Amino acid sequence: MASAGSHKNIELLTYSEVMEVSGYVGNFKVKIKKKPRYVDESKCTGCGTCQEKCPIKVDNEFDLGLGKRKAIYTPFPQAVPNVPVIDRDHCTYFLRGKCRACERFCETKAIDFEQKEQTLEVEVGCIILTTGFDSFDPTPMTQFGYGRYDNVITSLQFERMTNASGPTGGKIVLKDGTEPRSIAILHCIGSRDVNYHEYCSRVCCMHSLKFAHIIREKIPDAVIYDLYIDLRCFGKGYEEFYNRLQEEGVNFIRGRAGEVTDVAETPEERGKLIVVCEDTLISRQRRLPVDMVILSVALEPRADVAETAKLFSISRSRDGFFLEKHPKLDPVATTTEGVLIAGCCQGPKDIPDTVAQASAAAARAMAIITKGSVEIEPTTAFIDEKLCSGCRTCISLCPYNAISFNEDKKVSVINEAMCKGCGTCAAACPSGAITARHFTTEQIMSELEGVLI
Amino acid sequence: MSFEPRIVGFMCNWCAYAAADLAGTARKKYPPNVRIVRVMCSGRVEPALILKAFELGADGVLVCG
Ligand SMILES: Cc1cc2nc3c(=O)[nH]c(=O)nc-3n(C[C@H](O)[C@H](O)[C@H](O)COP(=O)(O)OP(=O)(O)OC[C@H]3O[C@@H](n4cnc5c(N)ncnc54)[C@H](O)[C@@H]3O)c2cc1C
Repeated sequence: MASAGSHKNIELLTYSEVMEVSGYVGNFKVKIKKKPRYVDESKCTGCGTCQEKCPIKVDNEFDLGLGKRKAIYTPFPQAVPNVPVIDRDHCTYFLRGKCRACERFCETKAIDFEQKEQTLEVEVGCIILTTGFDSFDPTPMTQFGYGRYDNVITSLQFERMTNASGPTGGKIVLKDGTEPRSIAILHCIGSRDVNYHEYCSRVCCMHSLKFAHIIREKIPDAVIYDLYIDLRCFGKGYEEFYNRLQEEGVNFIRGRAGEVTDVAETPEERGKLIVVCEDTLISRQRRLPVDMVILSVALEPRADVAETAKLFSISRSRDGFFLEKHPKLDPVATTTEGVLIAGCCQGPKDIPDTVAQASAAAARAMAIITKGSVEIEPTTAFIDEKLCSGCRTCISLCPYNAISFNEDKKVSVINEAMCKGCGTCAAACPSGAITARHFTTEQIMSELEGVLI
Repeated sequence: MSFEPRIVGFMCNWCAYAAADLAGTARKKYPPNVRIVRVMCSGRVEPALILKAFELGADGVLVCG
C-alpha cells in the first residue's frame, strides 16, 4: 500500500467514494466523492501530536472493540497515507464549537475545520474492483455465546490482539488482562452451514492453524484445541504446516462444537468456558474447559455488495460475491467489458490468491488500455436507418443504455462499444429495422428447423 | 409407443444456457426432449420465433432467462 501510494503513476484517493459510473470500456467517466478529513494532506507531516493532544477517546472500529482511538485519528499505525482524519461525530469542536486543541498544537498548521466535501470527475479506461469482504457476525449463533461471554472472540479480534502495533501490543490476553492458559479455536463458524453460508470460506482452516502456532509461540505451555469439520490445507506448503502443528502438540478434534457454556459440571470446569462437542474420531461427547474461545468466522460479501454491483453494472453469484465472466477461463473479468475484479470481492481467498488475481487484473487492464483501441464482441446489434421509424421503443428497452437518438436523422443509433448483443431491441423493433448480429431472425428460424425437423 | 413431447427451449446465454452447460460438465442428465436454442438474452425471443417453433411441430416452448 505504501509503495502504491508513492508511485508516480498511481493517484491514491483515500477517504473517497465512487458515486457514479458512466461510459464504457476505454471511456469510463467516474464521479468520486472526496470526504473532508479536516486535515490538509499537503501540510501534515504525520507527526501524531494532534492525536496525543486530543482529549476525546472513543472505541477504535478497526480494533473491533479491543482498543481506543482519539477523535482525530488514523485507524492503525501503518495506515496510508499517514494523515489523520477528524471524526465529526465525536470531535468537541464540531459538537459544541469549542476545543481546537489539535489546531493549536499542529506545527504545520495542517488542521482545516473549513474543509468541504469535494466531487471529482475522472476519465479512466478500465476499472478494477477489490472491495474485499466482511466478517460474519456470530451473534445470531447464540449457542457460542459471542457477546454474552467476555472471552469468546472472533478470529478478526484475535488477529488484532496478536498484532504488535495492535491494542494489546501483541499480547494474548483475557478481558481481565491475564493470560489464557487454554484456548479453543472453532472452525467453520457461519460457513459450511446451510443456515448461514453454504460455501467454505477457504482461508479459515489456515488462519486457525496460524493462530494455534502463534499461541504456541507466545504462551508455550498453553493447551490448544482446534475443532474442525475437515482440515482444508489446500495451498503450497500448507499440509506441511499442519503436520508441524501436530508436532507442536496442538489438539485437533474432528467435530463441530455444539455449544459454549459457563455452566460447570465438575470442579475443574468452574470459572471456565466449556466447549461441548462430539469428537467424531472416537465417537464420544467431550467437554473441553478453556479460558478463551476463538470463533473462526466466515468471510461474507460486504454489506453494501448489492449497491456496488449495481454501480459498476456487474453481476453476483449465488453466494453473493461478484461474478466472474468465466470461472476457469476468465476469472478476473466480468460481463461488463473493462470492469475487472480481484481478491475477496469475488469469493473468499487467501493473500497469495488475492495477489495472483490482482496481478492478473492489473495486467489485463494494461493490455486493454495500452492498445489504444478496444476489441469488441462481434455479437452486437445494428439499426438500418432506412427502416427505422424513430419510435424510440428500443431506447427505453436497452438494458445497457447503448442506444441514443439522432435528432438530425430522427433515427435511433446503437453504440457498439456498449451493446452486449442481447437482442432485446431486435425482438421489439416494430419496423424490423434492428438486426442482432449472429442471432438474426433468419438464423434462429433455421436453427428451429434444424432442431425440430 | 408412449408420447414423447418435443420442446424448444430458448435459453439466455448468461443464465439458463450457462446452467445447461454446467449441467453437462457436471455430468447431470436431463431428458433429450428439450431442444436448446441459445439466444443472447430471453429478451431476444420475439413472438414470431415462438409461433415458428409451434408451426414446425413443437409441443411446447420454454423461454428461460
Ligand atoms: C481473521 C483472518 C485472518 C486471515 N489471515 C490470513 C493469513 O494469515 N494469510 C493469508 O494469506 N490470508 C489471510 N486472511 C485472508 C485475507 O484477509 C484476504 O485474503 C485478504 O484480506 C483479501 O484482500 P482483498 O484486498 O481482496 O480484501 P480486503 O482486505 O477486505 O480489502 C478490501 C478493501 O476495500 C475497501 N473497500 C470496500 N468497499 C469499498 C468502496 N466501495 N470504496 C472504497 N474502498 C472500499 C475496504 O475498506 C478494504 O480496505 C485472513 C482473513 C481473516 C478474516
